[in-house]
Amino acid sequence: MSATDEAPRHWARIQESGSVAGMRIMVWIRRRLGPLPFRFMLVWVILYYYLRRPLARRASQRYLRRIWPLHAGHPPRGLKRLVLRHFWAFGQSLMDKVAAWSGMPLDVRLEADHRARLDTAIRSGRGGLMLVSHHGNLEICSAMSETRDDFHVTQLMHTRNAEKFNTLLDRSTQRRGPEIVEVSEITPATAMRLAERINAGGFVVIAADREPLADTGRTRDIDFLGEPAPFPEGPFWLAALLRCPIYTLGCVREGGHHRVTFEAFDDTSTLRRRDREHWRETAMQRYAAWLTEQCRHYPLQWFNFFPFWHTDDR
Amino acid sequence: MTTELERELKQLIIDTLELEDVTPEDIDPDEPLFVEGLGLDSIDALELGLALQKTYGIQLQADSDDTRRHFANLRTLATLVEERRVK
Repeated sequence: MSATDEAPRHWARIQESGSVAGMRIMVWIRRRLGPLPFRFMLVWVILYYYLRRPLARRASQRYLRRIWPLHAGHPPRGLKRLVLRHFWAFGQSLMDKVAAWSGMPLDVRLEADHRARLDTAIRSGRGGLMLVSHHGNLEICSAMSETRDDFHVTQLMHTRNAEKFNTLLDRSTQRRGPEIVEVSEITPATAMRLAERINAGGFVVIAADREPLADTGRTRDIDFLGEPAPFPEGPFWLAALLRCPIYTLGCVREGGHHRVTFEAFDDTSTLRRRDREHWRETAMQRYAAWLTEQCRHYPLQWFNFFPFWHTDDR
Repeated sequence: MTTELERELKQLIIDTLELEDVTPEDIDPDEPLFVEGLGLDSIDALELGLALQKTYGIQLQADSDDTRRHFANLRTLATLVEERRVK
């Protein structure tokens, strides 16, 4: 174990640490040899990461200690096994992600009322901003956009991860995913590009549960699972500035299929400038409450394997 | 010398950012718009960008140095609009 493994690092430097080469091998196994050999290999990959990533392991433990009483009504029992299951869920999600973007058939289900809401949102032609999180598989949702011609999705992604994914996808799959806008910070140019997409009836997807990559990025402490944690302000500034319908989009793995949830969150079309500050604050709290609910129902599918709360040693 | 477009842009900045205590005369075309000068911040820059897009159909390159250059002061902003306006 190298000393750097223990050094404080930003999530972008520790997350998605699977090497591109390794992922390509896994994709090849999945596509050529089928799901069973693939699962067999994945067990070893996950075990390897479990043993080699003490920082991620500790982050997982801390999170599970916080969420488990909400989920099960009692503190976690057999924490080590739970952490391992948490890692397993993450490994599975990475592979689902690749499968989704390489156009493999996926069993995606939307309950009737969620489907109706999505249909209405698409048909309104007003587009919107979809707040997502690192809970579940948001790439599955983006892959859905390929299934209908009138559903255009633009996904904001941190440059560091986007580059890696693009490399992976270009080489191992024939198809490209949804439109990816790579950002390390949100500039006027980015905002204008997104406004254009929304004006054309498209949907912009942005995760709001990660600290911004740039040191200048603003965060605000929001109570999350019993203690303040820094949430990025950027997505909520964008939501206020873009003046459009805001939704939350979730996607969890339930056994062999993926369950997508789509709900209205707010509408900033008529939000006045002087009310923005207040709106942003309450919106961030409501987002954290939404995320809490997601985690409460599916605790093992929140994939943040890095110190999230202020009190966590970094 | 202040051009018609510069006057228009001054009003756009005041209206967009609801700068109630600022009159068009207060904005020096050569003074920095952001941080110094008017003291606008990065969120204001986002908003101003969106207003320029809406009013003039301006497009910007994603490069943030490029944006910084165009948003330096009122005169550079006017040049940007002159060069790239589509409406």
